[in-house]
Amino acid sequence: MNWEITISGFGGQGVLFIGRLLMEAGFASGQQVSWLPYYSGEKRGGMCSCFVNISEERIGSIFISHPDIAVAMNPAAYAMLEPDVKPDGLLIVNESLVKEKSQRPDLKAVYVPTVELAKEVGDESVANIIALGAVLARAPVVTTSSVIRVLNQMMSKNKPQLELNKAALLKGCELS
Amino acid sequence: MSNRGINDMDNAIFRRPDIMPDRATHFCPGCGHGITQRLIGEVLDDLRLRDKAICVGSIGCTVTSYLYYDVDGTEAPHGRAPAVATAIKRCHPDLHPFAIQGDGDLASIGMAEIVHAAARGENITIIFANNANYGMTGGQLAPTTLVGMYTSSTIAGRKEDRHGFPIRVSEMLATLDGPAYISRVSLHNPANVRKARKAIEIAFRAPLEGLGMGFVEVLSMCPINWKVEPVNAPQWIVDNMIPQYPLGEFKCKPEVEELKKAVRG
Amino acid sequence: MSERTLMGGNIAIAEGAILAGCGAYFGYPITPQNDLLEHMSVRLPAMGRVFLQTESELAAINMVYGAAATGVRCMTSTSSPGFSLQQEGISYMAGAEVPCVVANIMRAGPGLGNIGGAQGDYMQCTRGGGHGDYYLITLAPASVQEMMDLTMLAFELADKYRNPTLVMADGFLGQSVESIVMREPVKSLPPKDWAIDGARGRDRRLINSFEMNPIDHPKRIRLLLEKYERMRLEEVRYEGMLLDDAEIVIVAYGSAARAAMTAMNRARKNNFKVGLLRPITVFPFPSQVLSDLAEKGSKFIVAEMSSGQMLEDVRISVGNQNEIKLVNTYGGVPLTPDMIFEAIDLMS
Repeated sequence: MNWEITISGFGGQGVLFIGRLLMEAGFASGQQVSWLPYYSGEKRGGMCSCFVNISEERIGSIFISHPDIAVAMNPAAYAMLEPDVKPDGLLIVNESLVKEKSQRPDLKAVYVPTVELAKEVGDESVANIIALGAVLARAPVVTTSSVIRVLNQMMSKNKPQLELNKAALLKGCELS
Repeated sequence: MSNRGINDMDNAIFRRPDIMPDRATHFCPGCGHGITQRLIGEVLDDLRLRDKAICVGSIGCTVTSYLYYDVDGTEAPHGRAPAVATAIKRCHPDLHPFAIQGDGDLASIGMAEIVHAAARGENITIIFANNANYGMTGGQLAPTTLVGMYTSSTIAGRKEDRHGFPIRVSEMLATLDGPAYISRVSLHNPANVRKARKAIEIAFRAPLEGLGMGFVEVLSMCPINWKVEPVNAPQWIVDNMIPQYPLGEFKCKPEVEELKKAVRG
Repeated sequence: MSERTLMGGNIAIAEGAILAGCGAYFGYPITPQNDLLEHMSVRLPAMGRVFLQTESELAAINMVYGAAATGVRCMTSTSSPGFSLQQEGISYMAGAEVPCVVANIMRAGPGLGNIGGAQGDYMQCTRGGGHGDYYLITLAPASVQEMMDLTMLAFELADKYRNPTLVMADGFLGQSVESIVMREPVKSLPPKDWAIDGARGRDRRLINSFEMNPIDHPKRIRLLLEKYERMRLEEVRYEGMLLDDAEIVIVAYGSAARAAMTAMNRARKNNFKVGLLRPITVFPFPSQVLSDLAEKGSKFIVAEMSSGQMLEDVRISVGNQNEIKLVNTYGGVPLTPDMIFEAIDLMS
C-alpha cells in the first residue's frame, strides 16, 4: 500500500508535527517514507502544509496532489484540499474552525471539533494530535501504538507533555 | 631560483632580504609599493617566516605581491584577501597569511571583508597601501581620495556634495575590539620608512602571538596618477595626505605593548 | 547491513560532507538551506573541524578558496541569490584549479523571487556560471539518499579534477525528510602536492589564475578545456527507468524526476509505454543516451521547474526529428505528477 497524506493549516497549528509523527511511525514499521513541508514566507501564521508518503515501494513524487488522506486544519486548507482528495479518500476537517460540509459523495469526510476536544484533555495546543488520532481511527496507515512509541521517544524528557499528547491521541482515536 | 647574486658580496652594506627573489618589480618609478614590499620582506626574514608565511595577493597594483617573496602564495578576488587569509589561518593555525591591499581593494569593494575579519580578531596581517586613488586602473576616485583631489573620474576634483568624504580606515577599524594593532605610517622620508618597518613588524608579531589582527595603513606615493614628479611625491604626502590621515597608533592591545619591546628600531 | 535512519535533505548534504572528510565549512544564512549551516555549526567544531558563519556569501566562497588552496576538503552551501554572488569566487577557483564543493539549494528567481523550490539555476550551474571559459561537474540528487551520496562523490570528483563541483538540488528536496542508509566515512584523502601549506623544505608554490603575459593565458585555458573534455567522457551519470520499450521518454532531474516517476507508473498502469531518463550529472549532460533514444524514435517530455532550461540540452541532444514537449512550473511551484501525466496522455 502507498499512503499519500496531506495536512494543511496555519503555521503554528502543528501541521508539520503530526506529519512528522506519521512519517516516524511509518519508518519504524519498516516502510519507505517521505515528508515535505510546504509553507509561505512567514515564520508564524502563514499557510502551512506537509506531504507524507508511507509506502512499501520506492516513493515517487514527494509532492502530493491527490492525497488518500487529507487533514484540513483551517478554512483555507479545507478549500484547497477538499476537491483534491482521491475518490474513496478520507478527509479530516477541523470543525472548530471550518464550518463548511463537503458535498462530495465519494469522500469519507469526518468533522472533528479538535479545539474543544483538546481542551477536554487539558490544553488546546494538542488540537493537531486530536486530528491525528482521528486519522488513525479511520485509516490503517500506521498503528496507534507505533505513534505512541514515537511520542515516547520524542518527549521522554517532558512527562506532562507526553501524557497530554497521548491523551489527545487516544481521544482522537475514540471518534467513530 | 637564485636568491643571491649581489647579496653574496662580502662588502655589501645594504642587502635585498633573503626572502625576496632577485627580480625587478612591476611598479612605476617613484611608487611606494616597492618600499612596502621590501619592509615586509625584511620582517619575513627577521621573524624567519619562510616556512609559515602565505602571501595572499589582492587586486590592484598589489596584484602580484606574491611574486616578490619566496613563500607560498595565492591570489584573492578583488577585496576578498581578508576572507582568503581568514580561512587559511582557521584551517592551519601554524601558518601565517598576510596581504597587501590597496585602498580600492580594501576600503571600497572589500570593506565588508576587512571589517569582519578585524571584528572577529582573525590572526592575520593586513598591510593597507593608501595612495588615495585606484592606481592600476588609471587613477580613478577612491574611497580615500582627498577632497578637491584630481582623479581620472573626478577631473574637476573630488567634491564633498557629489562624491562624499574620504574614509579614515584605521580610525574606523580601531573602534572594533578584535584587532590587536592598528597604526598609520608614511613612506615620505627615511625616518618614517624606519617607523613603517617597525609598525609592520608589530603587525606580524601580534597575530603570530594570537592577539588578533595586525593592521598597518601605509601612506604611499603614486606620482604617476598624482601627476607629480616622483621626486616631489613624498612632499605631496606631507602636504596633502597627512593632514587628512594623521600618523600614529590607533589601537595597541596591552599585550602588544609588551611585544614592542622586542622590536628593534 | 548499514543502519537506516531518517534525515532531512540538507542535513544529508552536511553529513555526506562530514563522511567525505570535509574539514571546513563557510556559509551565510539563506532560506531554504539554513538547517545545513546550523547543522554544520554544531557538528564540525565538535569534531575539531572548522565552521565559520561569514559576513556574506562573497566572504564564504572566498574563504572556501583560501581553505581549499591549503589542501583542506571544504565547502559552502547557499541558495540561488547567494549562489549568484559566489560566481566570481567560483570562477577564480576554476581558473586556479582549486577543488571545493558548493551546494546550491535552489529557490525561485529572478531577483528575490520566492523561497519555494525551483530549478531555475540550471543554466548558471551547467554553463560555468561566472566569467570566463570553465565548467563545473554538477550533480543533481533526486532523493535524500542521493543528497548524501552525491555530496560524497562531489568531494571525490573535485579532488580528482582539481575543480569546484556543484551539488544542485531544489529547495523541496532540501527540506524533505526521507529514510536513508548511512555510508561509511572516507578513510584516506588524496595527497595534494600543489597545496599551499607552508614552503617547509621545498620550493614555494603559487595558486593563482593570473597570467601577466597574455601569451601564456591561452595555454592555461587549453589545459582546462582538456580537463572538461575528460569530464564529458568519463563522468556522465544518469538513471534510466523502463526505457527499453519506451515510446515516450520523460527527462527530469531532482524533485521533478520524482514527480515524473509517479506519472510514469500511473501511465504504465494505463498501458502507455513511458520511461524516465533522469540525469544525475547535468554537466556533463547525458547527451549520448538521449541521442540513442532519439534514434529509436522516442518522443520526449522534459519536466522541470524552470522556464525550460534543461529543454535546451535535450534539444541539442535529440535534434529536430523527434517531438519534444515541455512540462514545467516556475516561481517556486512544485511540479506535480498530474501535470506530467496529462502531457503523456496528450502525446500518446
